[in-house]
Amino acid sequence: MDISDEKILTNSEKEILQEIMNIGFGAASADLAEIIDVHVILSVPTILVLSPSELLSYIVSEVGPAKDLSIIEQNFHSKFSGMAMLVFSTGSGKDFLFMLRKENATDLFESESIEQFEKEVLKEVGNTLISACVGKISELLGDFATYSPPNVLTGRLADSGFSKNILDPANVVIMLQTCFNFSGKNLKGYLFLITSHDSIDWLRQSIHLFMKQYE
Amino acid sequence: MKKILVVDDSPVARKILISCMPKDFPLEITEAGDGLSGLHKFETLKPDITFIDLTMPVMGGMEVLESIRKTSPQSIVVVASADAQPTTQERCMSLGAFALLRKPPSVVSVAEIFSAIQDYLGKK
Repeated sequence: MDISDEKILTNSEKEILQEIMNIGFGAASADLAEIIDVHVILSVPTILVLSPSELLSYIVSEVGPAKDLSIIEQNFHSKFSGMAMLVFSTGSGKDFLFMLRKENATDLFESESIEQFEKEVLKEVGNTLISACVGKISELLGDFATYSPPNVLTGRLADSGFSKNILDPANVVIMLQTCFNFSGKNLKGYLFLITSHDSIDWLRQSIHLFMKQYE
Repeated sequence: MKKILVVDDSPVARKILISCMPKDFPLEITEAGDGLSGLHKFETLKPDITFIDLTMPVMGGMEVLESIRKTSPQSIVVVASADAQPTTQERCMSLGAFALLRKPPSVVSVAEIFSAIQDYLGKK
């Protein structure tokens, strides 16, 4: 499949999807504000169509070398299915520890070690952002998503952690990206929603249905 | 005839908002695709109501809001944004936004905004 072919998503369809993503990311930031005590600055969402082989190098170019990353990955299932990846630089778990609202931290203190605690915090942040974002996008498109449990990959693991089904050469990767900038902190997170051409037909139909209500 | 200015970098967002505006009185609607051109159009048009998004290139919505309220303190500016964080809402209101309109807007939510504006202007 020629991934530059506008038949995957036209510019008009990308614009609509971009606005839907904007709404989804906005909902995600509000949900995140319930568990951390820091204001999130959102960026304008980006949509890219890539081949699986381009995905890792693209992420590295945006975020940094793969071994320095913490990645929360979570599969989502609906007519619009795929994987969500929330990517932070390594050590971000510690930053989030200090940002947690006290009422959300107590359960996590039962973790066995600091490393485990950091992972649990990242999982919590990832699950909140991803489910709010994907949930809102699915809702706007008239669907309902379910999720697999999130998985945290840190340090060297992140290098080999990209799921095989994403890197399947038969897939086309549609990447929906935004950057969460945490106000006053040297901390940025990138959220990538990765889906494949199996979802495209449904995605295009539902995008047009979404806009029809405003004509 | 009410003059409306809609400032949002997304043409889709502008279309959605405009489609939700009340049809029962005449509106002259002007659009701007980024914060800076929005500010220029505000200065030329002197609209009755300005809707601004927050996340925009060139100049963000907070900056536009602040600038408009400094130069035209009586102006009515509604922030239309997907950002639903309480801190964002507080900041917008402290900068003098008349109201916040959460995206996606609906005919009902936009009608409520117009009604609130009419009430406010009626009391002045």
